Amino acid sequence: MIEVKDLKKEFKKTIKDPGLSGSVKSLFHKKTETVKAVDGLTFDVAEGEILGFIGPNGAGKSTAIKMLTGILTPTSGTLKINGQIPYKNRKQYVKEIGVVFGQRTQLWWDLPLTETYSVLKEIYMIDESKFKDRMEFLNEVLDLQEFIKSPVRTLSLGQRMRADIAASMLHSPKVLFLDEPTIGLDVVVKDNIRKAIAKINKQDKTTIILTTHDLNDIETLCERIVMIDKGKMVYDGSLMKMKNTYGKIREVDVSLFDGNSADKIKLSEAFGLTCEDYDIEKKGTGLVLKFDSSKVNMTDMLNYILKTVGVRDIAVKEADIEEIIRMIYRSEVKLSE
Amino acid sequence: MNRLRKIRRTYGAFTNAGIQDFIAYRANFLGFFLGEILMCFVMYFIWKAVYASSGKTDFMGFSMVDMMVYVFLTNIAGFITGTDSTYSIAEEIKDGSIIMRLIKPVKVDLSFLFFELGNKVMLMTCVFIPVMLGLELYRYFALGYVAFKISRLILFVISISISYLLAFYLNLIFGYLAFFLLNLWGFNILKESIIKFFSGAIIPLAFFPGPVRAVFSRLPFASLTYTPVMIYMEKYTGSELVINMLMQVMWLAIFILISKLIWIWAEKRLAVQGG
Ligand SMILES: Nc1ncnc2c1ncn2[C@@H]1O[C@H](COP(=O)(O)OP(=O)(O)O)[C@@H](O)[C@H]1O
Ligand SMILES: [Mg+2]
Repeated sequence: MIEVKDLKKEFKKTIKDPGLSGSVKSLFHKKTETVKAVDGLTFDVAEGEILGFIGPNGAGKSTAIKMLTGILTPTSGTLKINGQIPYKNRKQYVKEIGVVFGQRTQLWWDLPLTETYSVLKEIYMIDESKFKDRMEFLNEVLDLQEFIKSPVRTLSLGQRMRADIAASMLHSPKVLFLDEPTIGLDVVVKDNIRKAIAKINKQDKTTIILTTHDLNDIETLCERIVMIDKGKMVYDGSLMKMKNTYGKIREVDVSLFDGNSADKIKLSEAFGLTCEDYDIEKKGTGLVLKFDSSKVNMTDMLNYILKTVGVRDIAVKEADIEEIIRMIYRSEVKLSE
Repeated sequence: MNRLRKIRRTYGAFTNAGIQDFIAYRANFLGFFLGEILMCFVMYFIWKAVYASSGKTDFMGFSMVDMMVYVFLTNIAGFITGTDSTYSIAEEIKDGSIIMRLIKPVKVDLSFLFFELGNKVMLMTCVFIPVMLGLELYRYFALGYVAFKISRLILFVISISISYLLAFYLNLIFGYLAFFLLNLWGFNILKESIIKFFSGAIIPLAFFPGPVRAVFSRLPFASLTYTPVMIYMEKYTGSELVINMLMQVMWLAIFILISKLIWIWAEKRLAVQGG
């Protein structure tokens, strides 16, 4: 359904020296700097699959989505979606995709929500009976009833997001792109939206790419994730596999009698660990230590800590997925194979 | 035919939304409208003083009644041809929300145009008809006979429609400048004043000395409001009428072409900031 090969996007940024003289100078002599927002993405997505795009802020997720939706022309690389090349014939291509940018809206701000849907009905040439069925389905999944007659500007963020997702689904697109569909929402609303997305995917076999930095979105929705950082792909595979590979990371929370004594813990000396294998975080008299349990086993680690510093309390945890991802970002370990 | 129907269906929806939008903002509009009418009366009294002090009843072929008609008609024409396209498109380019248009199977320029047409439909019914009625009643009582001609009204409507499209595309081109400049504000004010002056909205072009007038009336700005007003007032007849309307069409074609070229260029290089 989606084939992406070595996709790249560079932006030219003009840089200007500070102050007035800088402004004047930049009028005559423009200094530019190239930003590699997306730097070589390669992946395929099968029909009906939900792919999660994760990465920290500025990783290049939105830029990638903008290329996939035909808004931006790639600097290089190839891209084929639903048999078409997005940026080649935009008007034709967008007929069969749906897009939600969580930080923007496609709804008519001052008009009742229903007006947006009637405009979309005409734009996509949806006939009356199909439109009715579709509205019914979306209503059931996204619960639009209570606010469908209200002007969009009066909707809460959660309502607006539901309305936006419905708007992107009205014409039963084959592929759906959701850029941070749960941003800024509370836990209950997030959960509703996830359920709705899952239902839509199941009923229509819609192929979905969603970006997020909320891992719960990923855990409930995606079997497969692509992780990007600084425009580059750092992981492509199942969530399970990532957990297994990085599940070896263990966490020890220690409470010390003397916060300063934490400096005595020197894991590289004691066990020959490199900085990719562990992470220490100090909080007052507390200490959070994460390490790769395949390199050092837990008993040895605990013995070492108890021997080296004065411990008031100690707890052992399994690292959650968020930790795993943080580790991957930091170490930039290539996991994809 | 089929294609035309498709276009009408797609963009008709935008026009519809434009009408709804106008209704949502009618209170704003009323204040603006009253201000403009007040301005007309101010202009009227200024010209009345000019006529009184000159002691003549006829000025470059404009009688006092003509002047009254001219002032109001020019204002109406300004209302009808007035367009927010510079502002609205520049805003969307700057804040990146233009991408919400790009993800729809529509042409960006037409989606703006047809939305605004919805506004104009309402404007025609709420402003044009009552003001024209008032103006014709005034003419009738001032002259003592009916000067109104249906053929002139029809020609006026055709001409002013071209004017509106012309204004729309001219402003669209200015709006596209947001691709290159970050702040259009000062620039826009300058543009407005230039258009007002050259289009004869402040002083009728007929009042300028011969060579200046000849140049001004060949510029696209004259096609905006001056041509339709002169047509309605029967100042343009015969070949002059035909030439001036052709000129409008020519400028329209030129502006559409320029705007398309800029768009094609810009769409490929579009860089949208933000999520
Ligand atoms: N129009 C642009 N011009 C210059 N740089 C840009 C532009 N859009 C995005 N960038 C840069 O590209 C990088 C990726 O941005 P983005 O795709 O928005 O990241 P994400 O959505 O993952 O947070 C960032 O460093 C950002 O500053
Ligand atoms: Mg983003």
